[in-house]
Amino acid sequence: MMLTGLPLGTLLGLFGGAAALTLLFYVLRLRRRPVAVPFSPLWHSVLGDRDASRLFSRLRRWLSLLLQLVLLALLAVALGDPRATGSLGSGRNVVLLVDASASMQATDEKPTRLEAAKAKAREVVQGLGGSDRALVVQMGDVPVPLSTLSDAQSELVAAIARVKASDTRANLGRALDLAADALRGAPHGEIVILSDGALPEPSPAPELKGVAVRFVPVGKSGKNLAITAFSVRRYPLDKSRLEVLAELANLGSERAEVELSLWGDGSIIDSERLQVDPGARLSRFFSDVGGTRRGLEARLRYADGTNDALPADDRAYALVPERRRARVLVVTPGNTYLEAALLLDEYLDVTEVKPSAYPPPGRFDATIFDGVAPPPATDSGGLIYLNPPVSGSPVKVAKAISGFGFDTWDKKSRVLRFAALGDVQIASGHALEPLGGDKILGASDEGPILVAGTRMSRPFIVFGFDPRQSDLVLRPAWPLLVLNAVDSFSDTDASYLSAYRTGEVWRVPVAEGARDAELTLPDGTRRAVPVQDGRAVTFGERAGVYRLTTGVEETRVVTEFAANLADLDESRILPQKTLKVAGQLAPLPEPGKGGARRDIWALLVAVALTLSIVEWFTYHRRITV
Amino acid sequence: MGILELFQRKKTPRGPAKRVELFDDEFQRKLEMLALVSRRVFAGRLRAERRSKKKGSGVEFADHRDYAPGDDFRSIDWNVYRRFGRLLVRLYEEEEDLSIYFLVDCSASMGFGDGKKFDQARRLAAALAYVGLANLDRVTIVGVNDAVPERLPTTRGKGRIFKVFRFLEGLEPGGPTDLGEALRKFAAQHKRRGLAVLISDFYDPAGFEHGINVLRFEGFEPYVIHLVDKGEAAPALDGDLLLVDCETGDEREVTVTPGLLGRLRTAFSEYQTRIEHFCTSKRVPYLAADVSTPFDETVLSALRRGGFLK
Repeated sequence: MMLTGLPLGTLLGLFGGAAALTLLFYVLRLRRRPVAVPFSPLWHSVLGDRDASRLFSRLRRWLSLLLQLVLLALLAVALGDPRATGSLGSGRNVVLLVDASASMQATDEKPTRLEAAKAKAREVVQGLGGSDRALVVQMGDVPVPLSTLSDAQSELVAAIARVKASDTRANLGRALDLAADALRGAPHGEIVILSDGALPEPSPAPELKGVAVRFVPVGKSGKNLAITAFSVRRYPLDKSRLEVLAELANLGSERAEVELSLWGDGSIIDSERLQVDPGARLSRFFSDVGGTRRGLEARLRYADGTNDALPADDRAYALVPERRRARVLVVTPGNTYLEAALLLDEYLDVTEVKPSAYPPPGRFDATIFDGVAPPPATDSGGLIYLNPPVSGSPVKVAKAISGFGFDTWDKKSRVLRFAALGDVQIASGHALEPLGGDKILGASDEGPILVAGTRMSRPFIVFGFDPRQSDLVLRPAWPLLVLNAVDSFSDTDASYLSAYRTGEVWRVPVAEGARDAELTLPDGTRRAVPVQDGRAVTFGERAGVYRLTTGVEETRVVTEFAANLADLDESRILPQKTLKVAGQLAPLPEPGKGGARRDIWALLVAVALTLSIVEWFTYHRRITV
Repeated sequence: MGILELFQRKKTPRGPAKRVELFDDEFQRKLEMLALVSRRVFAGRLRAERRSKKKGSGVEFADHRDYAPGDDFRSIDWNVYRRFGRLLVRLYEEEEDLSIYFLVDCSASMGFGDGKKFDQARRLAAALAYVGLANLDRVTIVGVNDAVPERLPTTRGKGRIFKVFRFLEGLEPGGPTDLGEALRKFAAQHKRRGLAVLISDFYDPAGFEHGINVLRFEGFEPYVIHLVDKGEAAPALDGDLLLVDCETGDEREVTVTPGLLGRLRTAFSEYQTRIEHFCTSKRVPYLAADVSTPFDETVLSALRRGGFLK
């Protein structure tokens, strides 16, 4: 027998103190209520018999004291939480990995797969042996332990109740690593995975030496439709119009007639019926969508009005960023091609000044220096240099080159998007020598000729040539390149605006200078998120529309963004009856051994309570008085 | 209402103490009825016909004694002298009216509780005294505890009943009980012997026998009325108590249990039985008077039982 609660010394101290107090009360004379009687000899004659049994009376009084001391001793031992020595350390140590991924929200099990898994987890806990201990872990993209490695069933059951599903995938590898860490050094380790089996095999395989892995499958049906992609973009040269892309998939085993509807700001915009073969993915464009100010939502269901087993992937959200007129300053002695390119975007406020008039009053999102490179003013925004002189250029202007073109360019760069530069001919210019952190957007075989970077927290783009000395200005790539460059500085983007994807770390741009941000989740809860390098960083768990707030009162900036499940693997909800871990099939768990769980302290308290009731009864019946 | 008042025990409002009318009109009407009843019980007897043990100048011969100088010559029995040559004087039983003494226990135990015992004792004394006065007996009332604190001088005639009332109303219970000592003083103060009606609860630490024996040995004819309050045999007590004797102040710690109360009832009953047996064995008339019984019923019981009036 060992004490796992309060240490022996503390128990002895507590018992000693309480026993001393009890003794004191017994030693102190009872203050009795005086009552007058007419003839005390009558009472004496009655009590004389009791005097004869005074010894017994005293004995009964001492019996009462002894009973009190026994009660105290029982309570003291109960505080010590005694356990049988054999039951300590010899039982199993079980880690319950409860799958909380998006697929566990499927309703083929009533009410959901997750609730079915929790019920089975409770069965496992109730089947634990007297000396078994268990740890409950919520297995999402990041495993979260919800209890300690405990043998207290109440704690474990409460932890199971706290498991919540998220719109992320389950990361079995991380969960197994956590379980292996928890079981390191513990005897008879066992991992019980409660899941629908939609778990990618962990790579590399976790080290589970000496740990038994068992699998409890949940789920019945794999019938599911999913929106696997949903995005929206503005037309590059008409930003008032939108184009929407929705991609859907039929993950069931039968051909399905589905209804895909598009909603804008809470009102239906378009709806379409589609036939989707089993296992097929289908993309659908909604072109020339207008009138929507902010939110777009795609909804998917069967054409007969029924829903599939997993509602989480039947809706997708996207937000159109607000359009804002960008302010552009052009410092040039005169450049018709540049002016023409900027005229193509009606949402630009262009201010043109001579180099001698720089800097003019006002704040700008971007400044284009045409052949000049004066010291930039504070409010000049992002800087675009066209053929800058040697002095003043943020990138060193190196040797002069002639008769060259774009031999390589960064096709993924936002600045060069949609721009065909392969056959651009440039008469003359200079090679550039970027620094370490700079990015070469385009280069000839003689050196970089288009470089982007940041100096003193100010972004810049440098052209190593005068566009008028090339045929670039005659090509469609010229206005695209100029507008892309301006848009990259003014934070407007004409590209597909894909929503964030759940199960990833989101880095959301925030207003310049913001240090703290508050994120409002789709369910309305709020939480503070850290800001690093001008971006709010958070882990996305839920699909829906988020609001990110920075600053207070006048400086308050609210940014909205959407997040979608968009995970084909999580949408494949066909339940797996078996699970392979480290190349081996995980069997079903076994019931615990070692008899029922025994909480000796509870037994002691029950005995103490019973004795107390007996003492109370006998005292008030004047038996032990 | 203040918060502290919530914890205060509610007190029953009390008006000015109501004086108990011991001898009200109803009481006096009952006395008249009792007097009539007593006449029926003793019908045919003449007043003052009771023979006393005293030898004197009555008409009924009792005995002879030797002549002594100074005796009335008319009382010499000349027939005896002629036959035996001795001078003997004829003795007759002297006829005189009876003296009745009412000895009312005035100890503190009589006033215990609500004082029902003491009130009943005074009513009984008053009623029996009225019967006695109505029969032209000499009535004396004496209060006793461990001494003789109060005494109503001997009186006779119905018209003195109000004097008796006033005396009884003036009695106050108090002091310890010692009937032996008190009745010795009483006997010493009253040379004329007669009927001594002792009305008491007999809660005498020295023993109830002493008082009765004193009366017997001093030549009185004792008549015992034992006042019994059955509530004292079954007090509403429970738990750990300190018992205090209302007369002696004697204290005793006790834990009252139902069993103990049962034994107390038994002891109380046995005590009453002992008194009755003692009186019966000594041919002393005994009457147990329950305080809850109307006094007139008790008086009638006393009259019917006999011994009170000869």
